[in-house]
Amino acid sequence: MIVEREVMANETTINAPPAIGFWTEAWVRFRRQRLAMAGLIFVVFLALVAIFSPAIVGTKPLVCRYKDHLYFPALGYFYEAWENPIFMTDGVIYNYPQKMKEKDPQSWAVWPLLYQDPLRRVKDGEWEGMSGNPIGAGGVPSSRNLFGTNDLGEDVFAKMVHGTRIALVIGFVSTGIAAVIGIVVGAAAGFFGGWIDWMLSRAIEIMMCIPVLIIMLALISIIEEPTIWHLMVVIGVFGWTGIARLTRAEFLKLKQLEYVTAAKALGFRWPRLMFRHILPNALAPVIVPITFGIAAAILIESTLGFLGIGNPDKTSWGRLLSEGKENLQMWWLIVFPGAAIFLTVLAYNLIGEGIQQSTDPTLKASKH
Amino acid sequence: MLHYLIRRILFGLATLLVITCAVYALVRHMPGTPLTLDLAEMSLDQQISGSEMKRLQQQYHLDRPWYVGYWLWLGNLSHGDLGRSIKEKKPVSRVIGERIPRTLLLSGTSLVLAYMLSLPLGLYSTARSGKLDERTISTFLYMLYAVPTFVAGLLLLVFFYKDLAGTPFQLEPGMHSRNYDQLSPLGQVLDIAKHMILPVICFTYGSLAYYSRFIKSNMEEVVRQDYIRTAKAKGVGPVRILLHHAFRNTLIPYVTMIGLTLPALIGGSVVLEYIFNWPGMGTLYLQALFQRDYPVIMGLTLIFSALTLLGQLLADILYAVVDPRISYQ
Repeated sequence: MIVEREVMANETTINAPPAIGFWTEAWVRFRRQRLAMAGLIFVVFLALVAIFSPAIVGTKPLVCRYKDHLYFPALGYFYEAWENPIFMTDGVIYNYPQKMKEKDPQSWAVWPLLYQDPLRRVKDGEWEGMSGNPIGAGGVPSSRNLFGTNDLGEDVFAKMVHGTRIALVIGFVSTGIAAVIGIVVGAAAGFFGGWIDWMLSRAIEIMMCIPVLIIMLALISIIEEPTIWHLMVVIGVFGWTGIARLTRAEFLKLKQLEYVTAAKALGFRWPRLMFRHILPNALAPVIVPITFGIAAAILIESTLGFLGIGNPDKTSWGRLLSEGKENLQMWWLIVFPGAAIFLTVLAYNLIGEGIQQSTDPTLKASKH
Repeated sequence: MLHYLIRRILFGLATLLVITCAVYALVRHMPGTPLTLDLAEMSLDQQISGSEMKRLQQQYHLDRPWYVGYWLWLGNLSHGDLGRSIKEKKPVSRVIGERIPRTLLLSGTSLVLAYMLSLPLGLYSTARSGKLDERTISTFLYMLYAVPTFVAGLLLLVFFYKDLAGTPFQLEPGMHSRNYDQLSPLGQVLDIAKHMILPVICFTYGSLAYYSRFIKSNMEEVVRQDYIRTAKAKGVGPVRILLHHAFRNTLIPYVTMIGLTLPALIGGSVVLEYIFNWPGMGTLYLQALFQRDYPVIMGLTLIFSALTLLGQLLADILYAVVDPRISYQ
């Protein structure tokens, strides 16, 4: 007893450390899970590859001085219009190293680490002392083409590095769309209840009954010239039901709590109650299906690319696989993009499970 | 229960209406019609004359707005007529009817396999929980679950079709060999079975991984409960505890999964049949989409959606059957 009193006395004098917030604590717990961290590190690595893709491999200079101006042609890989039109009119665009010297002997340029292009075949003599890419089944992986070349002689490594952008953007944008729809629908259903809940729940049920891939294929076929952005919208529009159901359940639970009643008593109106008071507390369990949704979106994009539906981007990993299906002897068209899709999906699944473990207080710490 | 069933079925029919209506509107707005797409492929002497074109357009209601077309489609459906395929010049019900058994052959086999294999795997992992062999199996299954089916399918094809070419172990895509017609009945069955190996593996591994993880996580929850401790205290052997006491309680969620996996099996069939050139419903759907064969697209959409709905209904009913605590009003 005496000891205890002493401790208590001590505690009153010692300054307690600042309270750890929920998310800080979750992060501490997340960091302890080695596999989830490995997944996170892999996704960060992918993001870095995506951002620096034109600097890793490309045929356009990162920086160049041409006819007394500084240009950044490599930005053209992100968005075509960002490549100065002067290169197009001067006919430099398909052979920067030789043509630039020819048109302006004073010019200089900083080149990417590897000289290969994701969208076209590198031809003989473009780069001093480097022969063109092999065409057809002869394009085995080599020191020049790390992951080999496809049927047309385009470099697979370059395609995959630039394709990272698609995989990441698809994952985030389409899941972002799904998350916004899902959270709004789920929040409205759970918060208002009554006939709004009934209607929205039936809408969710209908959406869940839809054979998604089947409808998606039909939907994409009606777009005359589908782009990657159309795909993202379609994937997002069909991916929100899981998120909506979880959000609804959380809202049903949370709106009964005292603090919400208190906020109501203070006279706050529903938008504030919904988004400022309840939503932040409902977010933790909702993040888990969002993470899995990113993995699913990447899978769907590569599936569609593989089926050749919706005019897939030339650098899409799924499209490489579909080229591999046509040329089975070119195993490098299957192994490398297949591994990339597998690792990305695995990474997101691991992260999702890590978040689940670290935000759900009822689960015991992971054994992994 | 009966009341609940009727409500669910009515609701399901309404859902089917919404889906088919949406898909009808979609297919009618696709660029190109089956007739014009056809024209582009044909040589000049085969081309359809103006009057013939009109007649065909009328036959498929292409000259009317889509909602009228949909209404007429519904009307035909009400007396069991799905229309005629534009490409194959046969009734849609026959075209699809030929394909259904082929798809079921794959998905049914893999469903049975996945259930039969996942039971011992899941139980074994529960019994050996935390040991080295269990960790190895669990990690492997977890990784397997993240392998996209089309990647696995292509890798299998590279190995069994390309690398093993010329050896007796070579496995081809497609449903049967070229000399299928000359084989004896037994030979024909064996031939199809041989061609099923790769697609069934692809169909199965994902659900196998999912089910066994599912069993294990459910079992781990059950094993911690008081009545298991009581059984242990009574001196019941570990095997009997696992099978007789614990496993019975995990059966409930396990059985309901049957219904929920049905749509996944159907959806998965599109990609897998495409990889292995399997002439089932999935390849038919892709083909019909590319050729703008409206009646076939509509018929398949109807069947896919109806199966998905049925699967979910089945799951809910099974839920009530295996768990007496659940009742529907």
